[in-house]
Amino acid sequence: MNRRRPYWEDIAEGDEIEGFSLDITSRRLALQVSGSQDWYPVHFDPAFARKAGHPDVFVNTGFLQAALVRVITDWMGDEGFLKRLRFEMRRQQRPGDTMVCKGKVTTRYERDGETLVDLDVWAENEREGVTTPGTATVILPRRPQPKYARGKGRIDGLTVVCY
Amino acid sequence: MTEPVASGGSYDIDEVRRKYVGFETAEARGRYPVEYDPIRRHCHMVDDNNPLFLDPEYARTTTRGAVLCPPSGWLALYFASLGPWPAVFEPLFPIVPTPGKRIVNMSQEVEWTSRIRVGDHLSVRRRIADVFKKAVSLDPEAVWIVAEATVTNQRDETVCVIRNTMLTHRTPEEQEAGARSQEPV
Repeated sequence: MNRRRPYWEDIAEGDEIEGFSLDITSRRLALQVSGSQDWYPVHFDPAFARKAGHPDVFVNTGFLQAALVRVITDWMGDEGFLKRLRFEMRRQQRPGDTMVCKGKVTTRYERDGETLVDLDVWAENEREGVTTPGTATVILPRRPQPKYARGKGRIDGLTVVCY
Repeated sequence: MTEPVASGGSYDIDEVRRKYVGFETAEARGRYPVEYDPIRRHCHMVDDNNPLFLDPEYARTTTRGAVLCPPSGWLALYFASLGPWPAVFEPLFPIVPTPGKRIVNMSQEVEWTSRIRVGDHLSVRRRIADVFKKAVSLDPEAVWIVAEATVTNQRDETVCVIRNTMLTHRTPEEQEAGARSQEPV
């Protein structure tokens, strides 16, 4: 019943990760406070945000991280392991924006017995372009090796004997 | 360690660095174990319907065997210290004196060493890794704080290390008031 499980061997550098989009609405801001339990008013009180010099409220780090983690975990499936995620809040996602989150495979390699994939992941919007660039490293499982039973059979016209 | 270093409108970043860089907080332990519903709310804020994070029946059919906490450093810190009640607002800036009390997170890096399951009980230790001044458009006197948090589980295994960089700044009003106080009378 496990969801899609990409194996490390299936991944190619340059593969794109489709991701998703979210409209930043007042309802979404309420979900943000509920889901992150971040009650710092700069993320939901426009007057407080403007007093600090911001044009408006903007979504918080917990929200952005949850979105980037979703991009990665939707893609890697149940057997993948997120080993590292780094991201920067360079620009803001504000009410009225449509936040688009996606990613791309940059490197596939082995190190210390682990089968690893490096990703670029990011959030963007039409107003600012990329607002939240990030990089991640994921461990993906190897494709299981076929197990051969003892015996004799034919593969591609050849007789094969397994002892 | 909470006495102000800044006073009388002056701020000595070298003194703050000498006094606070390397400072470690006592270990905090989450009031409750890792629970289903905060995970559900966290997932729903970004429409994450991953059954491994939401559905105990589904999770039991996987090799994980139980619902996992999404690998978000934010959520790990929530379970380790901040939530759910009573709310303990213990950001680092009250520990490190700064000219401004407004904060903006600038970057975060999380390194994971194991998964978190529902029922785990998390703790956290924090360390101030760096403090420095760097001007931003919001405030030319912005002070940046780099903090590291190590999250452990009930077996004292490290589950993740979080490195967070945030800036603290003054409001435009506070900057104007500060400029006026510097004017010769």
